[in-house]
Amino acid sequence: MSGEVLIHTETSNDVAVAARDLVKWFGRLKVLDGLSIIIPRGTTYCLLGPNGSGKTTFIRAIVGLIRLEGGEMEVLGRPVSRVREIVSRIGYMTQHKALYPDLTLQENMEFYAGLYGIKGARRRARIDELLDMVDLEDHRRRLAGDLSGGMYQRLSLACILIHDPDLLLLDEPTVGIDPRLRKTFWEYFKSLTEGGATVLITTHLMDEAEKCRIVGYMRAGRLEAEGSPEEIKRLAGLRPSLRLWVDDSRATADLLVSKGFDVIEDGDALDVFLDSFAKAGTVLDLAQPRDLKLVEPTLEEAFLRLSDDGRPR
Amino acid sequence: MRPTFEGIEGGLGRILAVALRVIRQLKRDRRTVGLITFAPIFLMVLFGYALSGEMSGIGLGLVDEGGQEGLRGHLEGVDDFEILHLGSASDAELLIEEGRLNGAIVLRPGQVVVMLDGSSPQIAASLMDQVRIGLERPMPLDLRYIHGYDLEMMDSVGPAVLGLVVFFFTFIVSAVSFLRERTQGSLEKFVASPLSRPEMVLGYLLGFSVFTVIQSVTTMAVVVFVFGVPMEGSPATALAVVLLLGAAALVMGAFFSNFAKTEFQVVQFIPLVILPQVVLTGVWWPIQSIPESIRPVSSILPLTYSSEALRAVMLKGASIGEIMPDIFALSLFLLIGFVAATLALRREVG
Repeated sequence: MSGEVLIHTETSNDVAVAARDLVKWFGRLKVLDGLSIIIPRGTTYCLLGPNGSGKTTFIRAIVGLIRLEGGEMEVLGRPVSRVREIVSRIGYMTQHKALYPDLTLQENMEFYAGLYGIKGARRRARIDELLDMVDLEDHRRRLAGDLSGGMYQRLSLACILIHDPDLLLLDEPTVGIDPRLRKTFWEYFKSLTEGGATVLITTHLMDEAEKCRIVGYMRAGRLEAEGSPEEIKRLAGLRPSLRLWVDDSRATADLLVSKGFDVIEDGDALDVFLDSFAKAGTVLDLAQPRDLKLVEPTLEEAFLRLSDDGRPR
Repeated sequence: MRPTFEGIEGGLGRILAVALRVIRQLKRDRRTVGLITFAPIFLMVLFGYALSGEMSGIGLGLVDEGGQEGLRGHLEGVDDFEILHLGSASDAELLIEEGRLNGAIVLRPGQVVVMLDGSSPQIAASLMDQVRIGLERPMPLDLRYIHGYDLEMMDSVGPAVLGLVVFFFTFIVSAVSFLRERTQGSLEKFVASPLSRPEMVLGYLLGFSVFTVIQSVTTMAVVVFVFGVPMEGSPATALAVVLLLGAAALVMGAFFSNFAKTEFQVVQFIPLVILPQVVLTGVWWPIQSIPESIRPVSSILPLTYSSEALRAVMLKGASIGEIMPDIFALSLFLLIGFVAATLALRREVG
């Protein structure tokens, strides 16, 4: 790695993680293949991608768990080689069951509080607040080993939030958590980012990715596409469309095409693709449909399309 | 980073957090607590009864420096004698002092030295008789009386077994604990927390020491009060030796846990790490009776030093100053084990 400064100090306050050309080999497998990624502060950034695309490896590299073979990275303004200096500002939730099954919920949290030097009244208040947030207040004297999968996951999250981290790294945090509680989590994440914290999350759940400000799509150790969920859909070649039922589909189709719209005929229905919803009015004026339906592409479709092709369209 | 007061205080807080966690976990694991506290007592009782008989036969050390083949042949032919071939007169003297031999004979060209344990005159007399019979021609004998003990076998073995028992249980429990940290992923989380690896190992040492103290005190009490093994020296000194050995066992367990993937594989360390110490460290029979060629192995096993130190303190009333070489050796094991365990934790991730 060269000693070149990656980001100028004036801008590094706005960036939580900046990585350039990261390379990591596991034996003969190149898990990170020139990954470059910028994660702005105060955002929720979601990493999507097929299994083995390097998402977890990237997160582990951020906390210094693996040694990179190439590239450079800054985390909260520090080069990654000095990440231990700021490790107390990071909260890292692994996919492992990293809690102690033979300790109670309270004891597990007290242990993590101890690691971060949180004690006394602040510790009590923090534990109460977090157990309440993850809805485990009534179970604090139970052994962690007796919890269900989802409860365990909630406790894991509570433990890594104990020290109020500036950068949260969440590797598939909502696996096994019911939708109601997931909503609570996301509201909490939102409040954290509003307070200036950065949340980097990997997930397979598209509805969660939709909630993120930025979605990065990883494949084979690289960032293939990045942007807001809307931008990702566009990158995948997906546009919203209007499905119209008209009397003379042939003539209407010709008219719309002549005005520059992409149209697909499907029996007596037409699918008209829109670059933006602003054009919807024009389409309706031209076609005068009997009935209509707005079809919005999902991130899932975009993701599937990107996975199929390997390259965004 | 330069160490600051805050930094040191933070480190101490993290060490205490780990120690408290280890104590809480062990306390809840009733079976392991039982194993740590009662199994040693059970073992000591077992050994105690098995070994409480008077030593059979007359233990005779033989140092052959040439000549006197006739006498040697005669002594080896006496049924009552259990002969131990030794390398030097000073070894022989030491073993008589410790009560492990009733006497010793040094054979030199033109000279025979007879060392006798003055505490058992009957045995001394029968030894002298046999020497006189065995001599081909009369010659002056260099006769020395050495103050020894009239010991039961348990007296001699007890102090060393105390060390063995503590080492065994601490090593196994430590290896399994560290293995779990790794397999359940908490180690990975520590790397991403302010807890450093040395702090983690120190926290374990602190937490475990509570149980090692309980274990040592109960086992020692059984050895001394039930089996009447003497405690000539200070119990605190003996306890210090056992604690030091326990600490060395803990860091060795932490280090060796890196070579196991499952708890089943930890059990496989017993023949590898524990058995050589049972055989080669002078717990059951004097180290001087082990062939010279494998004795260097004994010198790299911690139990060699704890056995020596505990015997010296309990049987001969040695002060802490007199066992300093052993304390030093055990501290060295602790230090090397600590560094190795810490480095191995580092190597593990990534």
